Amino acid sequence: MSTANTSPDGNAALAAAIAGALQRQDPKLGRFDPLPRILVHDDFDRGFCGWTQLVGNYEHSLDSMLPGYSQHTSPMLSTLGHWDAGSHGGVDGSYALKLATRPRAGAQNVSIKRLTFRRRGPIRLEAYFTFKPEASALRLSETDVRAFGFLFDLQVGDRAGAGGERVMPHVRFLNAEGGAHVQKWQFKRQRVPVNPIGTEGKTISHYHLAPEGWEDLAEGQQSLCYNEIPTKVNWHYLCFDFDLETMACTGFRCNDRFFDVSGFDSLRLPAMKNLWCMLNLAFFIETDTDKRSFGYLDGICLSEGV
Amino acid sequence: MVRESTSAIVGRNEIWRSDFATEPYEAGWAGELVLFVRALEAGGADGVEARVQISPDGMHWVDEGTRLTLPSRKDAIGYARIAHFGNWVRLVGTLPDGAALKIIVTIHAKA
Repeated sequence: MSTANTSPDGNAALAAAIAGALQRQDPKLGRFDPLPRILVHDDFDRGFCGWTQLVGNYEHSLDSMLPGYSQHTSPMLSTLGHWDAGSHGGVDGSYALKLATRPRAGAQNVSIKRLTFRRRGPIRLEAYFTFKPEASALRLSETDVRAFGFLFDLQVGDRAGAGGERVMPHVRFLNAEGGAHVQKWQFKRQRVPVNPIGTEGKTISHYHLAPEGWEDLAEGQQSLCYNEIPTKVNWHYLCFDFDLETMACTGFRCNDRFFDVSGFDSLRLPAMKNLWCMLNLAFFIETDTDKRSFGYLDGICLSEGV
Repeated sequence: MVRESTSAIVGRNEIWRSDFATEPYEAGWAGELVLFVRALEAGGADGVEARVQISPDGMHWVDEGTRLTLPSRKDAIGYARIAHFGNWVRLVGTLPDGAALKIIVTIHAKA
């Protein structure tokens, strides 16, 4: 005869097992592996869910905005409609969030969601994503998209004390460069120049998505499912773990690959006076040719440990 | 359920000269939209009209029929209301030689 384990540890384990089983059976959440508290679950059949364009800083005139930011435009809700086969649709439902570059080699676009955190501890970002070039040529076009990636923009709380930092983990999948099909994951820790903006000494700007300073993630080569023409789309899963207590990356996976993040680090700057407890997350897309590149997301889950 | 609505900036602080076109905007979820052009700086665009275009695929375009009178002085606004546009929309036009218009283009789309 078995005896139920009614110890506090046993009860907690049973509660966690039940919660996990219920979550996995939920058609909306079952494709994620969230930490115990879900902070954000963005399904773009419910609208934009707070994802907006990353606008650059300026003062007095928009002319003071750095060029990297000037090119950004608003994201769209897309059914991934194609000239030859019609709407592709999202992972579930009709709509996905779409980021589109301009048709100029090196052009980028960024979509961002701006939050703050209430607890310094582990967080997990999960997303289903894909990328494709504009289907303007009857060719495979697998090297037209240069990169797809994501970043956090984080800062310690206002009582963190001396040495507090703004920390910006960046990850990108370098798909192609100069026509070469590179296909590898990279990170960035190298600081980029910080530019004062305007005349009042209150605003700075730095284009942290500039092409310089990317480093290869260890064993970061990965061939993703691109499919056989530009209008066939497959969705990919990514999961990125970060600890807000130590401000360090603790894990990264894409589809069936778990990557070694022991060499990973983030851009780090001294804490800024208006950004306490900032928790921003952003996705970006970059094109390698004079053709628009599109990044799509459906959906996004941000969770935290308790 | 409230009606889905969004404001999208599709061009900001760009200078139009000669032929111009906004980036394609996809809003198949929306039943109507208003397209605004505000002049940040203007010179020589008096009375010039831009054309709303729609597209089956975001790559091939056709005039929708609506025209928008471009703003001719700083902070003036031109706008156009359209509905039944399918999925893709953009604004195109041609400024006369020597004319320039620095603009911010906003789309308000609503389900």
